[in-house]
Amino acid sequence: MQRKLISGISGILIALLIGAVIMLFQGYEPLQTYGALFNFSLFGLFPLATTLRNSVPLILTGLSASVAFASGPINLGQPGQLLMGALFATVGGLYLDLPPWLLIPVLLLLSMLGGALWSGVAAMLRKWFNMDEFITTLMLNMIADFFTYWAISYPFFDRSAYSPMTPQINLNGWLPIWGEFNSNVLVMILAFVVIYFVFNRLTAGYEWRITGQNSLFARLGGIKIDKNYVTVMLVTGALAGLAGGLVVMAGPHRFLKGLGANYAWDGVMIAVVANSGLWATLLYGLFFSAMQTGSLGMELITAVPREFIQVLQAVTVLVVVAGRGYLDILFDKTIARRKARERTV
Amino acid sequence: MQVLIEMKDIIKVFPPNVVAVDNVTTDFRKGEIHAIVGENGAGKSTLMKVFYGLEQFNQGEIRYLGQTVRFQEPGEAIARGIGMVHQEILLIPQYTVWENIVLGAEPINFLGVIDRQRARQMVQSKIDEFQFNLDIDAKVDDISVAARQKVEILKLLYRNVSVLILDEPTAVLTPQEIPQLFNELRRLRDHGHTILFISHHLEEVLTLSDRITVMRKGKKIATVQAEETTKEELAEMMVGRAVLFTSHREKSNPGMEVFSIENLTYVDGTHHTRLENINFHVREGELVGIAGVEGNGQFELVNSIMGLIRVTQGKISVNGFDITNAEILERRRYISFVSQDRGKMGAAVKASILENVMMTHHRLNPDFTTWKGLILNDQFARQFTRQIEQQFAVVMGNQDNPFRSLSGGNQQKVILGRELLLDTPFLLLDQPTRGLDVGSIEYVHETILKMRELKRAILLISADLEELFRIADRILVLHRGKIAADLPTDQTNIEQIGYLMLEGKEKNLAKEAN
Repeated sequence: MQRKLISGISGILIALLIGAVIMLFQGYEPLQTYGALFNFSLFGLFPLATTLRNSVPLILTGLSASVAFASGPINLGQPGQLLMGALFATVGGLYLDLPPWLLIPVLLLLSMLGGALWSGVAAMLRKWFNMDEFITTLMLNMIADFFTYWAISYPFFDRSAYSPMTPQINLNGWLPIWGEFNSNVLVMILAFVVIYFVFNRLTAGYEWRITGQNSLFARLGGIKIDKNYVTVMLVTGALAGLAGGLVVMAGPHRFLKGLGANYAWDGVMIAVVANSGLWATLLYGLFFSAMQTGSLGMELITAVPREFIQVLQAVTVLVVVAGRGYLDILFDKTIARRKARERTV
Repeated sequence: MQVLIEMKDIIKVFPPNVVAVDNVTTDFRKGEIHAIVGENGAGKSTLMKVFYGLEQFNQGEIRYLGQTVRFQEPGEAIARGIGMVHQEILLIPQYTVWENIVLGAEPINFLGVIDRQRARQMVQSKIDEFQFNLDIDAKVDDISVAARQKVEILKLLYRNVSVLILDEPTAVLTPQEIPQLFNELRRLRDHGHTILFISHHLEEVLTLSDRITVMRKGKKIATVQAEETTKEELAEMMVGRAVLFTSHREKSNPGMEVFSIENLTYVDGTHHTRLENINFHVREGELVGIAGVEGNGQFELVNSIMGLIRVTQGKISVNGFDITNAEILERRRYISFVSQDRGKMGAAVKASILENVMMTHHRLNPDFTTWKGLILNDQFARQFTRQIEQQFAVVMGNQDNPFRSLSGGNQQKVILGRELLLDTPFLLLDQPTRGLDVGSIEYVHETILKMRELKRAILLISADLEELFRIADRILVLHRGKIAADLPTDQTNIEQIGYLMLEGKEKNLAKEAN
């Protein structure tokens, strides 16, 4: 645990250092830039609230990827599942008329259903045709992309709009905002608690984890790994779908072109950096969100373009992932060398 | 005799803190067969690997031919005339014998093309020189394991190696093939080669070697002349205490039939018949052993009993229940299973000890869960793990440590504990002592015999004939997917079983008389 914390924090610091060197090389002022970056993402109520709000889709898709990777399935379909979840929530919000206390949960469930349905397609393709989910989920991303684009261009198109988008959903389906804070964070925290409990305390979660580590052992132990595979695909699809629903219900309150942005791929990246750990996914999700949120302010104050944050993210991934393995080897080798010296007579 | 290799205060620590070789000082002389014996994990292979350049040592000095050396990689060692034959045979099966031997050091003609004729001649002359009795044009795929091992040795001789390191060369051989290897090694010695021979089979070490170095827990215990020592003395040095070589096996008194296989046939996806018309049964309180050279159907037999493959024909039943096509969880109500490969089938090595102990119990024993099997009962699982720790004398530390932090012997104890406490009528043990040290093997055998007393029906698959003769009541020989013999242990001997394993039929005595 401690080692993980050390390697995580030192990884981030080294990445920031490398970022600083890149900035110096290009003639920018690193300290001022980082100052602006974190000023506009962490310090103050509004920046903090924005960072939290923006972290929701990153963390939920990150959790989806982490749970999938740690249980075995290589579900890379978060982008598509997010879009399908968003579409389901939007359509529900356009046609259902319920009081807020009922409509909000219904829309959340619909978004989860949308995501699960989409990952379920990949699960069925594996079950019936033995097709690798690694490929099918990637392909289904494309289909979801164009399918939702069609849906918002034709059947659910807002006729008063100039570009593909749906009308706004029923006001009762908007997530409440308290001061600066959007309640989508609450939903995310609730989802985190539930998935954490399922993964670590439930019999099912135990079976997923063991299957992810050694599926032959799990199978010989009597675990029905095929059934669990389908469940994990559905659950992780639902998580990504929920991310999509929340994007709609917290933000533009409609499905517009480019809604999915890069959330889901960032989420997959976060899962990789977090080594599929749930807590680590939450923390890295917040960190990445802070960088993305602060980048706007950074661009405002300094001459450094927003795109620089993408460089910084990539460097963080590389340094943390490479450093994780390297630090372990380094720790072990140092101990070994000390022990060998002690033994010398 | 001239001292060829001197090692002084060698220390090797595997990161982070496994001291594999601990201040070893020893020497090897030119033209001797020098055995290095010790239990698994005693450091004998590691000592040879640091000399050979496969591993780097942390402290100490090695002198070879009077010069200080430190090989960075095996290539440097081979260039200086030192070669090592590993336990696993690394040849290209599609190539012929001579092609494998010259591979990487081919003689080339003036066109830059391999000079086949010269290559074959060079290989043949080596074979003749040492009387290796090998067809150089045979495909490696078609020759026996013993012949493949000869090819490995020839590969090194072809490269003019004069120091040969052999890592447990007899482990892959049948009892009949061992004397031939030993004759060849003696012939090599008489030609002036030096042979370093890693083993833990004391009898073969005593027959073959000139001097013996004993290691225990990374330390060198002693170097002795082979003719001046005994098996008992070596064993005591190896283990650190006196070892009993005879088991006190009581005559078993088998009861009702528990496990049975009828007319079992398995044809695999490539239309090879892997198991053919297998019939046998195991009674309660009976320990049936299955002997056979690896790859004669043991793997398929285990997989069909466990439900990993679907049998083509036949019936498997326990206590009268037909489990031929049952789900694995259903089978596990009747079958405890200890696999030969702990890391692949027996455990999730990165998961915690606790999580490994819970497996299968979490579905079969309602105490492991609450809320109708939905939520894990962590407290009960921890208590259960402590029970295994005490009952099976496991050195465990924290239950939340990863399973792989345990030593091999302790890992096997945990697995045995988990499986035996399933309380099933039938135990399937697939090489349960593979890779364990003498002390742990003794413990596993005692545990198995205890289970037999408790009226369990036990099927033991083993590649170690001594093990079968020590504890089994009956021995079945598996040969090319068929049962070649079914003999009570007290009415047969190792030589007979060894012959059956190789030939699949009884030795023709009339022919022998000729």
